Amino acid sequence: MRRYQDCNGIDHLIARRQFLAGSAAGAMAANAIGWGTLMSPTTAAGLEQQQKRILQIYLQGGVSQLESWDPKPGTKFGGPFQAIATSVPGMHISELLPHTAKRMHLLSIVRSINSRIGDHSQGMLFMEKGRRAGEYPYVGSVASRYLAPPDGDLPGYIHISKRGINDSTAAFLGARHAQLKLDGNKPPGNLEVPSSIDDSADEAREHLRVQFNQRFSKQRSPALTDVYNSSYEQAAKLMKRKAMFEGKAAEKDLDRYGRHDFGQHCLLARNLLENGATCVKVTHHGYDTHAENFNFHLEQLGEFDQTFSMLLDDLCNRGMLESTLVIVYSEMGRTPKINTKYGRDHWGTAWSMALGGCGIQPGAIIGKTNAEGTKVAEREVDAGHLFHTYLSAVGLDSYRDHDLPGRSIPIGDPAAEPIQELLS
Amino acid sequence: MNTSPPIDPTQTHETAELKHQNPLTTLRVDPTGRYVAAGAQDLDVQLWNLHDGNHFALTGHRSWVRSIDFSADGNLIYTACWGGVIKIWDLSHEIPGMKLSFQAHQGAARWVRVSPDGKRIATGGNDRMVKVWNAENGELVQQFSGHERHVYGVDFHPDGEHLVSQDLMGAVFVWNLKTSKKQRTIDASVMTGYDKKFAADMGGSRDMQFNPDGELWASAGITKVVNSFAGIQDPIIVVFDWKTGEAKSKLRAAEKFKGVAWAVRFHPQGFTIGAGAEKSGKGEIWFYKEGQETAFHTFPMKSAARALDLVGNDRLAVAHADGSVRLYQMTAKPGEGDANQKATETTGGKS
Repeated sequence: MRRYQDCNGIDHLIARRQFLAGSAAGAMAANAIGWGTLMSPTTAAGLEQQQKRILQIYLQGGVSQLESWDPKPGTKFGGPFQAIATSVPGMHISELLPHTAKRMHLLSIVRSINSRIGDHSQGMLFMEKGRRAGEYPYVGSVASRYLAPPDGDLPGYIHISKRGINDSTAAFLGARHAQLKLDGNKPPGNLEVPSSIDDSADEAREHLRVQFNQRFSKQRSPALTDVYNSSYEQAAKLMKRKAMFEGKAAEKDLDRYGRHDFGQHCLLARNLLENGATCVKVTHHGYDTHAENFNFHLEQLGEFDQTFSMLLDDLCNRGMLESTLVIVYSEMGRTPKINTKYGRDHWGTAWSMALGGCGIQPGAIIGKTNAEGTKVAEREVDAGHLFHTYLSAVGLDSYRDHDLPGRSIPIGDPAAEPIQELLS
Repeated sequence: MNTSPPIDPTQTHETAELKHQNPLTTLRVDPTGRYVAAGAQDLDVQLWNLHDGNHFALTGHRSWVRSIDFSADGNLIYTACWGGVIKIWDLSHEIPGMKLSFQAHQGAARWVRVSPDGKRIATGGNDRMVKVWNAENGELVQQFSGHERHVYGVDFHPDGEHLVSQDLMGAVFVWNLKTSKKQRTIDASVMTGYDKKFAADMGGSRDMQFNPDGELWASAGITKVVNSFAGIQDPIIVVFDWKTGEAKSKLRAAEKFKGVAWAVRFHPQGFTIGAGAEKSGKGEIWFYKEGQETAFHTFPMKSAARALDLVGNDRLAVAHADGSVRLYQMTAKPGEGDANQKATETTGGKS
């Protein structure tokens, strides 16, 4: 628990309030010229970045491990693409990731995931919760609960995606730690105060709401009003920070990240992380390649590769990578066997992911698959191990129980443990 | 007196199977009808001599072979791979050997074609470039930029002075080889689709061919994308009027067939042949009369077709996803006449 206590220590929280206040002022000033310039690299690097953050890049549908982190060119199921050298001697990844390859000294690869799940929903839930079944919070909600400062200006867990429904992510941690899902770059709905309500009327209605809450909570458990209160408070904070979602990204950033949705979503993610968000998840769709696996991976990973590399550069150059755990993952991998449609199907038996930044040993390769990629050959892990690893990397004790009244629920699956050799 | 049986696509039947252990990716038959060459989901080119039954594996590529062409005399074979490398193989000796190899594109070289005079080869690739090379020494002669997405196919017009190229988005450019400039654009956007669910484009030419006099140009691929990640879209072969650039006809498969058209050939007798892969893994050959967009005959196959070529005028060679090249005869089986029509689906009578 040592690192956990440090992360939430009072000194840190005070420093963080000052940081956020500065960011808010910066946001106001930067609005006129676009949110890409909210914080200069120098300013960010100069700040003591003690708060741990998580950036999740979710390649939805199941990216092919053979076309990404575990290429096997020239083998029976290797596909048409080559492996290329990376910035880490001896480490090769797919030629579809040339920009990422130059930055692999910042990342590590896990090549030995056997989740035994070949289903989108179940696979995603396992990867997010670290449990195969049951009502447990997503890693983003856990981060919100234990890493986000109680008075943070932004929700602790923000998900940027243009598809899908709102997942129920918080479980017993409560609505305050649930994922705020953004529909792409659009700001959350209803941030504007209705034009018929001026500032004094707004203040008066808020005062009335608080009065009602206080009266209600005198006779009942405060837990009943806490959720409502936190929702209102969070909404109020978001309304004050709506400038973050407005304006246009800087041209030079769009050139670097790409003008496509994923590029703009990653720019928003950078902005949110810089401005105090604790866990930001960006979903890149389009990896469920039952047909045309190779053409689609060319397209999708081409988009991912440049954008992700620019984001990684910015986190690194702004001094944020040491305090930001970066996770690039899917809900499963894809079959080594290539079907008649040039597709690869669902596969949970032997697949890969990449991670780096806060608490992660860079440049490592954990585990290996056999020559044809059909089995894990060494150091088999699953999402339970990964969940423990993420939390350990950001300084949380994943063996500890959730802090719940009258209940004792282990944060990580007691049957799993962190991948120790991956931790720095 | 010619005693050859008449060509009748409705009598198409399988006559031979040439087996390979890995799924095939492409195929080409040499113009003399001696060799059939196929690429596969491995690093070799499979070469079968149809005259003496000999088989060779041409080794040297470091990625799957995507496209193959032959010289007019059948003595040279040109191969393009996903690694962007073009190789020229000499088949004039007892043991075939590699004559030339060069890096043509960054990323995949999806297509290679030799010019009518055999002096140049054209390639297109994922670097969005179209390039023309000296076929003797592999030196770059011309290169054309302008495609904004991957170039899927490229071919010489029979006049030898023009080149056509098609990209993922259905942009077709006609390049004038004398002026080294883009001469005109043809719209083949019907052959691409945006999958809204997965936010990705699918399309491109999977095969292309001019008819012998160069008045028509056909391109095979897909249309009506519904869920391309599951292979749910319609195959299509678009026949363009070369002079006007207008789509003269859009050849379709039966509505129930969802997949990709991987091949198109103009038959000297005036009908058009297509072949495709259904999402179930099965395949079909389609036969179309000129001016008709529905096949007058469909020949079902147990395995998906990934390429097709004519062997002479009376046979077809098909590269299959199950690893076999199968030869199909477009004449009646000896002594059977029209009797085996019941095994296939036919509408609209014979060609």
